[in-house]
This record gives sequence, structure tokens and C-alpha cells, in this order.
Amino acid sequence: MSSAQHIPPDDLILFALQFLPEAEMSATRRHLLECEACRRQVGWVQGDLASYAMTAGMQAPPDEARERLLSAVAREKKLIPIDRPVAVPRPVHAEPEYASRESRLFTMSEPEPRRSGALGWLGWAVAAGVAVAGGLQFQQRQNLQQQLAGADARIAAAQTESAKAEAAMQALAGNGATQVALHLPASAGSPATVQPYGQAVYIPKTGALVFVASHLDPLAPRKVYELWLLPADKSAPMPAGTFKPDTHGNASVVMPDMPKGVDARGFAVTVEDDGGSPKPTTAAVLSGV
Amino acid sequence: MDRRLEGSVTASPATTTGDDAELLALIVRGEDRAMATLYDRYSRIVYSVALRVLRDPAAAEDVLQEIFMQMWRSPESFVAARGSLGGWLSVVARNRSIDTLRRKRPSEQVEEIALASPFNLADDSERNLLMEKARAAVVLLPAEQRKTLEMAFFDGLTHTEIAEMTGDPLGTVKTRIRSGLATLRKAFQA
Repeated sequence: MSSAQHIPPDDLILFALQFLPEAEMSATRRHLLECEACRRQVGWVQGDLASYAMTAGMQAPPDEARERLLSAVAREKKLIPIDRPVAVPRPVHAEPEYASRESRLFTMSEPEPRRSGALGWLGWAVAAGVAVAGGLQFQQRQNLQQQLAGADARIAAAQTESAKAEAAMQALAGNGATQVALHLPASAGSPATVQPYGQAVYIPKTGALVFVASHLDPLAPRKVYELWLLPADKSAPMPAGTFKPDTHGNASVVMPDMPKGVDARGFAVTVEDDGGSPKPTTAAVLSGV
Repeated sequence: MDRRLEGSVTASPATTTGDDAELLALIVRGEDRAMATLYDRYSRIVYSVALRVLRDPAAAEDVLQEIFMQMWRSPESFVAARGSLGGWLSVVARNRSIDTLRRKRPSEQVEEIALASPFNLADDSERNLLMEKARAAVVLLPAEQRKTLEMAFFDGLTHTEIAEMTGDPLGTVKTRIRSGLATLRKAFQA
């Protein structure tokens, strides 16, 4: 489809509503990459849909939802490079809570206009200068401390990741590693054209385990996938970590906390409630022995 | 996410409001207070749309969390690239909710397109005005158009499914959706 042959408006609307079959969605998307006129049309349709969305009866989410989000945000605290520029500096007057220390300091130390003669003015100017200089020094020290703290955190995180990666590499390359391919169990059946697939690499001696999966189905709300180690002695399956796939259906479990010296006859994956389960409660969606 | 589809951003009549863009820039730097501000501003819209589609408060809350966590993890994909942030979030909320209904993987194909909307939903009064306008305009739509739009947008029924359910020809269903949206646009431009 060339950009000269525009997509009919009805189909652009169906694209915006995500109603076109997958192949047509992809073809439309390719066309939109080249055709600004159609892209603009879709933008307008999206704008219309956004306006229509406003007809949903407005209801506030539960207060706990806010707590839940902010807790999750705090758990995923970012490590930002010190020199990373802010795309748009925040104007101080718009949101006082985001005013920088520097701007508050400057506002506080700004001298009131005085009319008590040159000497008095000079005194205030010196005082203001000292205050500003002191403030700047304080701020520089704070910045340095923040930079040091940030650097320490990054070093610690990097060391942890490095140790984890090294252990993972050993798991992948180790002589004693067992490799298990996990597939859809025969009884499960699936209409999907691309079936989910997993690969586990495990060293019983050290308990090192790396698991990667692809083409996983998306999960229902508040559900997770859980990986299970099936012990060789046929005792109860041992939980080996929970995970959620990304938008492309890919997921991994790297070096979960596993006991050492447990021989495995295989691995399996089930769908469990958020947080995982101590034992499988549903049929395996992937298994391999 | 393919940045090439963002080419229409500059052509949009509205871009992410300065304030939203600044908050997103702070989120890029890991400022969780900025996250709280954007949540307070838009969580109601996102939750309401998700609830209308899913009719399940727990599932709607999950969609809400998922969208805002995506904003926290990848604010770059939201930064000043989607037109009106509030409008874009409402469309994303609808799409993610439909994906949840259909147990489908989230599709980003549509969300890559910058949204063209003249409204600044960051502003409380403008947001309320838009809601009132939208409701008033929808009430004036012919009943079939109103019902078809609702089935398509909030119920997530495809044009084919709507045609099967109502017994109307496919072309008629498409025309009703297009006409309904066109009428809404005119009403907002008036």
C-alpha cells in the first residue's frame, strides 16, 4: 500500500479501535509510517475517541489504589545518572513543592529594599552576599552528598547484578548443568499458532537456575506465572519463582533462591494468584522433564 | 515503540500540556512526587474508563496500576509525544481494558499514534467542561449511532460482532461509528 493510496476513513477508525484483523493492523501501521495524511486522520480519530471516553461515568479509584501504586513506585525507585539532563525544567511558581533548594534559598535571602543610606544598603548587600555564598556552599555540599549516595547505590546495584550475572553464566555454562525444555503439556491444547516455550538451565549442586520463556499468554488480573522444580525423588514440586511476561510474551527467572543439592526430574509452570503459591493449584501451562 | 509514528506530533493541534510535560520530565529523573501528582490528576479518568469497559472494580484497578506503572517505568514513551496526555491515557485505558477482556497481549500499534485533541485535560475546569459537552453531545446522537458507538468503544465489540448482534449490515455499522464520531467532533468544535 503506497502513501498515494490512502486508507479508507472507515478502516482508519477500525484501526484506532483495534478492530482490524492482525494482518490488516500491521499493514495499516506500515502505511501510517509513510503517510502523514492518514496518520493525521488517525490522530483526529483518537482525539474523538478520547472525547467520547469522557462520557464514562466518572468514579474515583479506591484510596488503597493510590497507596498501592506509590508503594510499587517506591519499590522500583530509579537510579538516575547524575548528569542526566531534565528535559523541561520545572517552573518554581507553578508547583511550590517542586521548587529547588536553590530557589527557596535565593528567595529567602533576597534583601528587602531599604532606604537607610549607602552604608545601610552596603551592610545588607554584604549580608545577602554572605547568605547566598553560604547557601551555595551548602547546596554544593548537598549535591555532592547526593551524588556520592547515588554513586554508592549504583555501585552496589551493579555489584549485585554482576554477581547474579556471573552465577547465571555459570549456570548456563557449567558442566553439571541440566537443560530442560518446557512445552505446552499435551493435554492442554491451544488454539494459538505460536505456542509458549521455556528453557531451564539448572545446576543441582549449587541450586543455580536460569529460566527463560517466550510466547507466553498474557495473564488475567492479579495472576502470575510460577515456576516449579519437580524433584527427582518425586516429592512435592518446589516453588522456583514467580514472573509476569512482558508485552511480547517473554519472561525470565534468573537465579531464584533455591536450596542446593536437589536433583530435578523436570520443571513446570502454572498460573497462580499474585504473590505465588507454596504448591501448584492449577494445571501446568508449560512442563518439561 | 516505534518513534517514527510520532511524526504527526508537531502537526497536532494540542501537545501534552507544559505542566504534564514537566511532570513527566521529573518522572524521567525518578521524582515519585511528580508521579503522585499525575496520578491525582488522571487516575479518575483512567479508572472510570477501565471500570466502564470491565465492569469489575478489581480488574479496573489492575489496569489503572498497569498504566501508571508503565508511565513510571517508561516515561519517555509518554513525554510530549501523545498530544493531550489525559486524552491519550483515556484511550490507552480503553484499549488495555479491552485487551484484558479478550485476554489479548497489549497492542501498542494504535497507541503509537499521537492523539490530536484541542483539549487540555490537565485543567480541572476544562476537563469538567469537556465531560459535560461529551455527555450532552452523545445524548443528541441518533439512538442507533449512540448504541453502536457504545458497543464499539466501551463493550469492545468489533464491527463484525456488532453487525452479527444487531443484524445490521457491516457497512451500516461502520457508517454509524464514523457518523457518530463526526457528530461528536462537530459538537466539540462548535
